[in-house]
Amino acid sequence: MNTIAIGLVIVLILFTIALSIFSRRFTRTTADFYLAGRKVGSFSNASAISGDYLSAASFLGVAGAVYASGLDGVWYAAGFAGGFMVVVLFLASALRRFGEYTVADFAFGRFGSNRIRLITVLAVLLTSLFYMAPQMFGAGTTWAVLVGRGIFGMDPYTSGVVVVTAIMAFYVAVGGMKGTTLNQIFQFWWLWFAMFLVVVFAFGNGFNYPQALAEASKAPIVNTKAMTAKELTTADPKTGKTPLDSAKKIMTPEEFAAVEAKVALNDPKAKIPVALGSKNKLHELRVQLFAEPGHRYNAFDQFSMVLALVLGTAGLPHILNRYYTNPSGAAARRSTFWVLIFIGTFYIFAPIAGLAGIGFIKDYLAGGGTVAAATVHGMLVKPDQVMPTLGAILGGQWLMGVVAAGAFAAMFSTIGGLLIAAASAVGHDVYEKYINPNASEAKRVMVGKVSVLGFSLLAMVIGLAIPKFGLDQAYPALIAMMVTWAFSVGASAFVPMLLTGIWWKGTTERGATAGIFVGLFSAITIIFLNIFQQLGVVGKEGILGFFGALTFPVLFTFPLGLLTIYVVSKIDGQLPKNVDEIWMRIHGTANERHEKQHGLDKVGTMFAKAK
Amino acid sequence: MGDTTVNASTSNVSIQHGEHIDTIESVDLVFRAQRKLSFTYGAIFFAVTLAIPASSVWWQGWYSVPIWGGFTANYLFVSLLYYFFLWGMAWTYSKQADKLDDRLMDMADDIANATVKGGEGS
Repeated sequence: MNTIAIGLVIVLILFTIALSIFSRRFTRTTADFYLAGRKVGSFSNASAISGDYLSAASFLGVAGAVYASGLDGVWYAAGFAGGFMVVVLFLASALRRFGEYTVADFAFGRFGSNRIRLITVLAVLLTSLFYMAPQMFGAGTTWAVLVGRGIFGMDPYTSGVVVVTAIMAFYVAVGGMKGTTLNQIFQFWWLWFAMFLVVVFAFGNGFNYPQALAEASKAPIVNTKAMTAKELTTADPKTGKTPLDSAKKIMTPEEFAAVEAKVALNDPKAKIPVALGSKNKLHELRVQLFAEPGHRYNAFDQFSMVLALVLGTAGLPHILNRYYTNPSGAAARRSTFWVLIFIGTFYIFAPIAGLAGIGFIKDYLAGGGTVAAATVHGMLVKPDQVMPTLGAILGGQWLMGVVAAGAFAAMFSTIGGLLIAAASAVGHDVYEKYINPNASEAKRVMVGKVSVLGFSLLAMVIGLAIPKFGLDQAYPALIAMMVTWAFSVGASAFVPMLLTGIWWKGTTERGATAGIFVGLFSAITIIFLNIFQQLGVVGKEGILGFFGALTFPVLFTFPLGLLTIYVVSKIDGQLPKNVDEIWMRIHGTANERHEKQHGLDKVGTMFAKAK
Repeated sequence: MGDTTVNASTSNVSIQHGEHIDTIESVDLVFRAQRKLSFTYGAIFFAVTLAIPASSVWWQGWYSVPIWGGFTANYLFVSLLYYFFLWGMAWTYSKQADKLDDRLMDMADDIANATVKGGEGS
């Protein structure tokens, strides 16, 4: 039992709840609940955006992806960071100048129809669910590693999902955006510090970056996998070879003998960890080395993945909502610059941790040490467990506790932002606009809180369903993969509408609506085809097989959404009657000049009591 | 925004915040300047970002030759140098956008005042 580590996680949770209760007294109006009263300064907002953004995928997934795949894993870090350039260059100040609450408000304000507001709400909810799913999966798996046992008769995975859902629903409903903002600031700095500490401990224990990279690149990458006896002995129809044949070439005679003994038992449910050879998908004639591209992505996916990550950030509703909390357009740009500094340093550290994990874990196991996670051939079977394992090896239970709390902080901060985004979509965009426009402030805030609870329950159900459908077995690095799906959906649904809505006056309501619809559903369709193909439901032949093989649909779906908007807008040609006025709201500066003249652009305090 | 006035009675729509007025002419000026700046930086950003996977596919010296310990140029750029590129881009863009805002603010007031006076006179 990791008593100290669990204690540190409990401290984090209690502090989180205390912050929410503290900020409760400052949440009276809907602007407070959804936007923290538009009084969040650049540094605070940048910390909160970074906390919002850095999820389990960044904290556990990036180091895990680097540990498993080398350079192709490093791209996750670079791509996640690069996405903010699209935000700062094309969206940040325009969104803030427009001055609404949500992305759906922007769509309605820009194009003036209820239809586009409602389809945007649908897209916000679907994108948020896609992003919520990996956080829930991360909660279950981290609980399983950290605590190792369930509560109230539930298994460890289920316990993690249920506990995290309950905590999140409570603190977001109680604290609203102010409480969530405060928590995200605190959680971001905790997880940044946890990552920094792991890297410092690695260097303190003799890690040498260029030398470790040279060492890791001496031999081809080894894949680890847990497979049943049947899977291990089933031959590939093309090559006639079984995974067991591949394992024999990689593993030592002693390791392989242990595998053969387990295979001989022929237990249909038992998963046997094995080490397998790797293939270079990019340069097929080259062996796959750690420092070279090709372990995960072929030539097509190298480009598609970069676009998915870079464009996807600009399509995440919980990140875009944060830009409305800035006091001015210039502050929105400053916030983004600081975000790039904060997350950039974090993403420089994460691949170092992943690389350090290879040497330290191998040496530790070779020296007779044991770790909680499953291992084979001196490597972790599940790469996503590299951070807590490395923490335990380098700094004992204390560092493991800091890392585990960092993992939960990453999940909490992202789930908090997603819950606020989903609550604002339902409570603000639907309830306040269509169901009860005359509702009192208290009632509106109450509906926001009920939305948080409802969406939390939905996310919990999805989190619990993931292992039931075998998705965790179908994808080796599921957390990072699922987050990339959310990026793909957001990039395809929102980014074409936002870019054309801000930068092309000729965009019509029909064009934008059609673009969102096409982008949203084409991305979701291809993602599900990919899932069905991995689960063996859809074959690899024909048109379905081609689209099902696309790991990231953005290279198709983003241009498709953009093209749809252009073509439909050109055919339609019906601009809103007040298009000049709308244009002035997006690009006009009179309000900023007025605020600057009277000093109203300065940040106030988030903690002024509502009168 | 309590003292915001939208005036659509003349042929040119204008929005007034306190003493400051936006007209479609002044906003178009701001928009064109901002678009030029954003899309110039955007073109550089996408050219550099997409050049990395392109080099990974077609330039062997980029992805396979170690230049510092185990670092290839590809690994060094993606894991470290790319962030300096992003920070430099974001910093210079923000500064230029702020300068542009300041420059255009005075011009916008002049254009807006001239336009509104012209509209009143016609």
